[in-house]
Amino acid sequence: MSPYREARVVAVTGACTFLGGELLRRLEEDPRYKKVLALDIRPPALTPGGKVEFVKLDLTQPTVDGELATLLAKYQVDTFVHGAFLSHPTHAAEWAHELEDVGTMHVLNACAGIEPKRFVMVSTTLVYGAHPKNPNFLIEEAELRGHRDSRFVNDKLRAEKQVQRFAKEHPNVQVCILRFAPILGPTISNMYTRFFSRPVAPVMMGHDPLMQFVHEQDAAYALQKAVESNATGAFNIVGKGVLPYTTVLALLGRVPVPMPQLIARQLSKVLWATQLVGSPPSFLDFLLYLCVADGAKARRELGFAPRLSIKRTILDFLGVAPEDGATDVARAQA
Amino acid sequence: MTDDPPNSDDDDWYGEADPRVPDAPSWPDRDLGFLGDDVYLAEQAAAIADDDDHTRFDEAEMRELERRLEQQRTPVFPIDLRKRLPLEGVWRRWRALAMWGRSDVVDDFGRDPRATARWEWLFEFLYSRWFRVEASGLEHIPAKGRALLVANHAGTLPYDSAMVMHAVRRDHPARRDVRPLVEDTVFHLPFLGPVMNRIGGVRADPENAERLLLKDELVAVFPEGEKGMGKLWKDRYRLQRFGRGGFVKLALRTGAPIIPVAVVGAEEAAPMLGKVTWFAKNIGIPWIPVTPTFPWLGPAGLLPLPSKWFVRFGAPIDLGNAGPAAAEDRLFVNRIADQIRNQIQSMIEDLLGKRRSPVLSAFLG
Repeated sequence: MSPYREARVVAVTGACTFLGGELLRRLEEDPRYKKVLALDIRPPALTPGGKVEFVKLDLTQPTVDGELATLLAKYQVDTFVHGAFLSHPTHAAEWAHELEDVGTMHVLNACAGIEPKRFVMVSTTLVYGAHPKNPNFLIEEAELRGHRDSRFVNDKLRAEKQVQRFAKEHPNVQVCILRFAPILGPTISNMYTRFFSRPVAPVMMGHDPLMQFVHEQDAAYALQKAVESNATGAFNIVGKGVLPYTTVLALLGRVPVPMPQLIARQLSKVLWATQLVGSPPSFLDFLLYLCVADGAKARRELGFAPRLSIKRTILDFLGVAPEDGATDVARAQA
Repeated sequence: MTDDPPNSDDDDWYGEADPRVPDAPSWPDRDLGFLGDDVYLAEQAAAIADDDDHTRFDEAEMRELERRLEQQRTPVFPIDLRKRLPLEGVWRRWRALAMWGRSDVVDDFGRDPRATARWEWLFEFLYSRWFRVEASGLEHIPAKGRALLVANHAGTLPYDSAMVMHAVRRDHPARRDVRPLVEDTVFHLPFLGPVMNRIGGVRADPENAERLLLKDELVAVFPEGEKGMGKLWKDRYRLQRFGRGGFVKLALRTGAPIIPVAVVGAEEAAPMLGKVTWFAKNIGIPWIPVTPTFPWLGPAGLLPLPSKWFVRFGAPIDLGNAGPAAAEDRLFVNRIADQIRNQIQSMIEDLLGKRRSPVLSAFLG
């Protein structure tokens, strides 16, 4: 069918996530790919005809690995994209654990038998953890500290550790892990977009860490690049530039509410327990300490460079033109 | 939309065309010389090549795609605050107000040019009026390229790093910005930490320092660190151990010359009579200093006393011929570190010998 001799077959878990959907759309347009398997519990919203085939697959089921292995063998999948991860923290912690940690185990069990040529995993820079001892730019080899009591972060961390072990045990498979900085944009919905959509935001009194985001289109492009290329290892996918947290709030026009740490933690516990906010108490550490990653390796080896600066990303998330607001002043020389 | 009815009121309003006024030239006849011939020709060629039907098809497809995207878009919050807000005008004004005094672009390490400019007057006051700093040896600092300033450390708050920064920015012909490395206890101190970061301070971390030096910045380190700041009055101007020689390794790895800096006067600005470690750990600081003013006058006691300061920059020490491999040679690193420590100590003693009085030196000469 395809004019290319080596047309590839790609399987994507989490096809209904933002990144999964964007990847499907991009692969659909690319003649180098013969077939795309969209795996999720419900069909992706925008299913163009032809290349993409939806297969219902629930990673929380105990025997899903066998099912997946048969699928991979049947379609001769050569590239596996594992993106079935939650974008919001959830109160259903057991289910989240089954999906992210155990689900990754199922995926890896299936891949261990078939050994696809390439395995791409979607992860986040949150796995580095916000820590007072973090350097300003975390490189890929930095220790993954996770978070002491955040199940949202730790499930992803455990999944990533499994994938790293898989990479060691299966040298024939090109394993590529993408650690995305918090993704912002006009269409994506995740913990950060929900947090910044509220009119008020807590500020840890006397603390103002630098923050980093990546635009949703840049993130989708990075995932596409990762599927295309032969690069292996972990890559930080980050946007251009950093801004202090309070400046982010000012650009967004949110009202900062400075609170002493002690009060903020208790309040956050209450609000989380009563399900009034979408971010757990452990998230407050990311408002206290740095968690900024260095994207130089992705630029060097993956050929991905972000297109939009952090300010443009924030304004695009907000839906205002960059000229709007009295903010476009004093460009740094950097 | 652009099709007006043939008998619109406009004709009545404007009356007949004035025969004396020549018609405005229509588009391609207009003088487009300012665009340059090639641009104009290319535009024309493109316009000719572009099939009318083709463009219309593209537009329709685009609209369809946009419609589908809009459908896919789901509201994040009951009221989509990203798109419309109650009291839009108030909100816009609030955004403008909130951005006052800060810039929307900071450098990679968090230095905010507007915030720096905003605090400039305070540093200038401290530098020229309060401490009456006399800086010498500024010619040893290169006009461009990397260098590592190594200085002694004293005082309960890092006034000395601020003065070293300001001396170079004020009196050096190239007006370079010094990036001081700030130890963790100060960097994570509420309020002071973020301010230090905005005006150029960076958390003291070997990775940060290496990155800064590789960007050809001027980096100031205070290898005594916490021990230097916690020196008691009786130990004044007696240099403490220089860490583990990390700054020497840094200079060897990046090939940056080391410039020794002696700061005299910081000890008298906040003479530490004693320190209380009890309860200090609970509020996240290593000790509570006791100075002639501090706990007694409340927060006002943290203001420095008006001592007379001297800052001297020594001749650069180039370790370039040792090579990056020497960074692994611990004995060599330690020897160089001690050598630089002794040099700074003798510079301090030299300055102390010249100074007549810790406070009135400016008047006594």
